[in-house]
Amino acid sequence: MNHSTRPGRGRTRATATALAVLLALTAAAGCSSKAADGKDGKQGAGGVKTGDGVTDKTIALGALTDLTGVYATLGKSVTQAQRLYVKQVNAEGGICGRTLKLTVRDHGYDPQKAVAAYTELEPDVLGYVQFIGSPFVASLRQRIDRRDKALVVPQAWSAELLGSPYIRVVGSTYDIETINAIDFLMKEHGLKKGDKLGHVYFEGDYGENALAGSRHMANKSGLELVEQKIKPTDNDMTAQVAALKKAGVEAVVLSAGPRQAASLVGVAAARRLSVPVIGNNSAFSPQLLGTQAGPALEKAYYVASPALPIGDDSEGPSALASAYAKAYPKDTLDNGVVAGWTAASTYGEALKRACKAKDLTREGVSKALRTMDDFDAGFGKQDFTDPEAPSSGQSVILRPDKKAKGGSKAVRGPEESAAARAYEREPR
Amino acid sequence: MSEPAEHTAVRRRPYDGSRTQQRRFRSPAVPRDPRVCLWAVGTVLLLALPFYLDRFWLQAGLFAMAAAIGAIGINLLTGATGQLSMGHAFFLAVGAYGYCAFAGDGGDGLLGLGLPTWLAVPAAVATAGAAGGLFSPIAGRLRGAYLGIATLALIFIGQHVLFNAEDLTGGFNGRDVPPLSVFGLTFDDAEVTVAAVPFGAAEKLWYAGLVLLLCCGLFARGVLRDRPGRALNAIRDHRIAAGVMGVPVARYRAAVFVLSSMYAGLAGVLLALVFQRTVPDYFGMALSLEYLAMIVIGGLGSVSGAVLGAALVALLPQLLTRYSEALPLVSDPGTGGIAPGEASRYLYGAAVVAVVLFLPGGLASLTARRSSSTPGEDR
Repeated sequence: MNHSTRPGRGRTRATATALAVLLALTAAAGCSSKAADGKDGKQGAGGVKTGDGVTDKTIALGALTDLTGVYATLGKSVTQAQRLYVKQVNAEGGICGRTLKLTVRDHGYDPQKAVAAYTELEPDVLGYVQFIGSPFVASLRQRIDRRDKALVVPQAWSAELLGSPYIRVVGSTYDIETINAIDFLMKEHGLKKGDKLGHVYFEGDYGENALAGSRHMANKSGLELVEQKIKPTDNDMTAQVAALKKAGVEAVVLSAGPRQAASLVGVAAARRLSVPVIGNNSAFSPQLLGTQAGPALEKAYYVASPALPIGDDSEGPSALASAYAKAYPKDTLDNGVVAGWTAASTYGEALKRACKAKDLTREGVSKALRTMDDFDAGFGKQDFTDPEAPSSGQSVILRPDKKAKGGSKAVRGPEESAAARAYEREPR
Repeated sequence: MSEPAEHTAVRRRPYDGSRTQQRRFRSPAVPRDPRVCLWAVGTVLLLALPFYLDRFWLQAGLFAMAAAIGAIGINLLTGATGQLSMGHAFFLAVGAYGYCAFAGDGGDGLLGLGLPTWLAVPAAVATAGAAGGLFSPIAGRLRGAYLGIATLALIFIGQHVLFNAEDLTGGFNGRDVPPLSVFGLTFDDAEVTVAAVPFGAAEKLWYAGLVLLLCCGLFARGVLRDRPGRALNAIRDHRIAAGVMGVPVARYRAAVFVLSSMYAGLAGVLLALVFQRTVPDYFGMALSLEYLAMIVIGGLGSVSGAVLGAALVALLPQLLTRYSEALPLVSDPGTGGIAPGEASRYLYGAAVVAVVLFLPGGLASLTARRSSSTPGEDR
């Protein structure tokens, strides 16, 4: 190195340069794009008040999904259904004279990526039609409620998420669903007072929320609850079946994943524990029917779901099923498609109403959603007026059926049991 | 930097590079010009960034800073002392949840001692250190990979406790993190306008993160460059020889384990402040592995290596996800084909393999090689 500078001089010069640069930067900060400008509440095309994510031509929406993590199958169906909805709406001319633009981010069920993706999209979108992962929604709740105020539709049905005017769960929550499921067992399968009822559930909010429902029901109806807590990584239900058999249960509720359902029902059949098993909506996927547990599932398994199955004969499901099969011929139809579609069309309806009220700001959209007291996307009625309550108390009871589209058929239509109506959630 | 040059040289390069050492010997007072300039420009840039960048970038930067603090800690343990730890995520969790427990006011029904938040930070770090101390009888006796296996237990215990000790951790959905407040300045989303730019949580925390990272870096550098650093390296290179020379091997191992867990605790606190909520899912095995990846990629045994590796590992996936649409062969998520998330994983994996293959000394060896003729690199 042939530097001729004396030591010390270089440092002075560097300090001077640094100071000058710093001064220039601070002076220029005023011109930075971040400098405050009252961007909310502009008057846009058609005299509609607009804010973040809405221009005269487009309405930008975000979807935070999981395409590479544990909920990849659900995420794929939900996302594709929502893309389909956006495509259809845009083909019909959009909403409020604007086309919908859906930006999807895959967080792979990683909290850091989920928070990062939310932050990335937040300045550019009006709201989120999809957000998979209730822990992440919960972790962003403060920001959503106090600062961003964007309408978020989580793809999770935990009662923990209720109570915010901006985070709105579409459909019944797990506790209600479980109450309806046990009501079905009592009415159709002769479960009665004094009987033992097994409940196998995941640790975490899904399982524990469902457990709150079954505990309530056990209390009210004089059932004896046999609880079995499992981890999402437990795939073999042999030990649980043995314990339930020993306890002499008359029926089993399952709040876990599809794999656990296959194992539980399969092992129960092999061990001659012939009792009905009913699962929450996340505890089933049509792929299960191709496994060895398929016949056992068709025989003894039921699923409680907040919406009509995709294979139902009524108008909404059959139209969606054929449109989806046309758009994505290679992919299986499952109830994730229904969930995605219902969320997107609920959002679309809120946008239409907000447009009518001439207020397409974030606040305007969530206000518009609160006026929807009788909305039906074709899969069951929803009432969004009260942020404290789930939008529906109804559950449909499904039965796995190899021949049906989507692998399941409704055996009891949308119904809210008397017990569910009377259910009062413990204050959080 | 004022110490005799041969010390630095010997300590820094126990194995290689007589060329480097000779050069350093020959010119102990080569001009500092380029380095100082680089530092000055870097500092100014870092200080000015919050005025320009989106919250997304600031948040990514903050994740990187927190990761860097944690990585410095594990580099002291694994890089400098040769002790493998898989339990780093556990200590991060202790720091994060410890801060919440000390600073929380119990209003959400969870355990909260209601300490002032500035006091809760050192308290949380001390708790992480104490947790490390509890484990140190084991950490002092086991070496290398054996310690790695023993610390695996911490992860599993930690996950179980985080999910089930609901009064402390809030269970599955985690608990809120009270915003840090120092000298009347609260690091929350209440906006303060500085030079016409609204400063929210990310902007304010950015500066707190920089200060913390700087202090941590300097402290670790001091440790590595002085007596303890030599003792640690001696233990790594030849345990028996170190013992013969009078280094109390078990004590040093235990001490560096405690120090490393305190670094992890601080990283956890910073992460919690950025997340604004702690969730147990985050503190799993994958996180521990990520930290090991950071120091391997960055360079074992040095502060700059830890920081570089942390920056790469924390930022690369986010960059790739954000700009994945611009990459060839990648389709929009949800349309089939290779999803951006998958693509970013492949690229990330490829980057890790490339660094390990072509830069066995990590990224830090790049800068070290280039500036080998100038003294004072911050190892």
